[in-house]
Amino acid sequence: MSAPAQTTPAQTLALPIWALHSLSRLTPFVLFLAAWQGLAKSGLIDPTFLPSVSAVGHALIDLGASPSFYTDLAVTLGRSLGGLALGAAIGIPLGAGMAVSRKIDGFFGPLVKATYSLPKTALIPLLLLWLGIGSATNIVAVMFSTLLPFVVYTYHGIHGVPQLLTWSARAMGTPQRRLLWKILLPASLHAILTGLRLALGFSFVIAIAAEMIAANTGIGKLMFIYGESGAYDYMFAAVAAVVALAYVADRLTVVISNRLLRWDDVENRLG
Amino acid sequence: MRTLHIIGASLWRGITAAYPLILLAIVWEAVARLGYVRPVFLPPLSAVFAQFWPLATGGDLVQPLLVSLYRAAAGLALAIVLGVAIGFLMARMRVVRWLLDPLIAFSFPSPKIAFLPIFILWFGIDHLAKIALVAFTCVFPFIVAAYAGATTVPTHQLWAARAMGTSNLGLLRRVVLPASLPSLMSGVRVGVPYALVTAFTAEMVAGGGGLGGEMVLAQRYFETPTVFVYLLIMLATGYVIDLGVLALRRRILRWHEG
Repeated sequence: MSAPAQTTPAQTLALPIWALHSLSRLTPFVLFLAAWQGLAKSGLIDPTFLPSVSAVGHALIDLGASPSFYTDLAVTLGRSLGGLALGAAIGIPLGAGMAVSRKIDGFFGPLVKATYSLPKTALIPLLLLWLGIGSATNIVAVMFSTLLPFVVYTYHGIHGVPQLLTWSARAMGTPQRRLLWKILLPASLHAILTGLRLALGFSFVIAIAAEMIAANTGIGKLMFIYGESGAYDYMFAAVAAVVALAYVADRLTVVISNRLLRWDDVENRLG
Repeated sequence: MRTLHIIGASLWRGITAAYPLILLAIVWEAVARLGYVRPVFLPPLSAVFAQFWPLATGGDLVQPLLVSLYRAAAGLALAIVLGVAIGFLMARMRVVRWLLDPLIAFSFPSPKIAFLPIFILWFGIDHLAKIALVAFTCVFPFIVAAYAGATTVPTHQLWAARAMGTSNLGLLRRVVLPASLPSLMSGVRVGVPYALVTAFTAEMVAGGGGLGGEMVLAQRYFETPTVFVYLLIMLATGYVIDLGVLALRRRILRWHEG
């Protein structure tokens, strides 16, 4: 056996401390679920209004075994990530263009300022008129809502790049085009990734809201179908699935971002 | 003469700065007028403006706006009270922090709109469900802001205040709350737009009046100019309120260097 030849005391201690830490982080969840179960079973609350944890758990297991649930989940995920990708594909170049060119900034700056305070969900009824009920409306709505975080964070990220970096690169003869790719974009990567994390959150909200307003498929629609048919344990299970999915997506974004930012200063990491 | 000149110059500067918006308006009007798109998809901008007056006089503009603002404000107020209380408690008491920190970290990135069916089940389809969703959406930024603010208070200030005989409540009111104000105002800047958007969105989904509800109704009846009017009102509301928040922040934080 090729076990590690030496283990320092710190290493032998590391595992228990790590395990203790996650145990300590998990305990509040257990307490929360126990309180919920106790409240639901106590008879103080009508079980229609608050299905017990065990009932929701059963519903969740049942949903986990049905392929149509995964289809709905995948449809919603596809819409939100599709819109997010479009938002990034348009927003990052636009933000970068605005940061490096006064002309582009002069044209799009006022438009960005004017639409910044618009609740992007307000576009959904309009898009329903234009594109009808379906994924197109949903994806375009997500695209619009994720566009601004990408534009704003890329713009400010590039503006925040220290002059020293651009001056040094210029002094060493870097042409304008390479300056953007080699200096400005990498140096503002942490800002763009912060924008991405924000946009990811928006993308779920808009995709689900659009499905709740008008759709035939997706998890947002499914929740309302369960709610309207009185299958409240299934409704709670669907909500739980969405919350868990959003959490995993957010954590994955943070982990991947920090991997991409390995070379950068520690204070630029995402939390 | 001189002032007139200055007014003229600043007007000109305003027009040149806003030229993309003016251009957009002209292109919009032209495209719709020349019949490139059917008016049910894109009515001329002038038709949208013409729709303002009948809506306003028919009580379909101010009334829904007030309903939406009431829901957003009530939810926001609830979120501030709860968020500040929870944030301060977390900063003061280890147990509370241990208990709530993992739960908050888990719920923070979740799309709160997903909870709307639950709130409808609990509170019905009128005001309360929307207020609850607004409060639930906005409470998290305030918890984080209050916690961050309360933990910035230097320990020696707490000790000094205590040594001079300040009570627990006095400590909160005279030391912790003022010290947290900059952080809390940042929370307000984030929370206010969230509150508005959430109120509008909840109304679109669940109906029950308000600008969001009326907008979806107008869309179902293909009253496109009305949809645009509501869109512009939402945009203007968000803009004006953001300006208000900035002004409030400047006023409250006059003493603060940041």
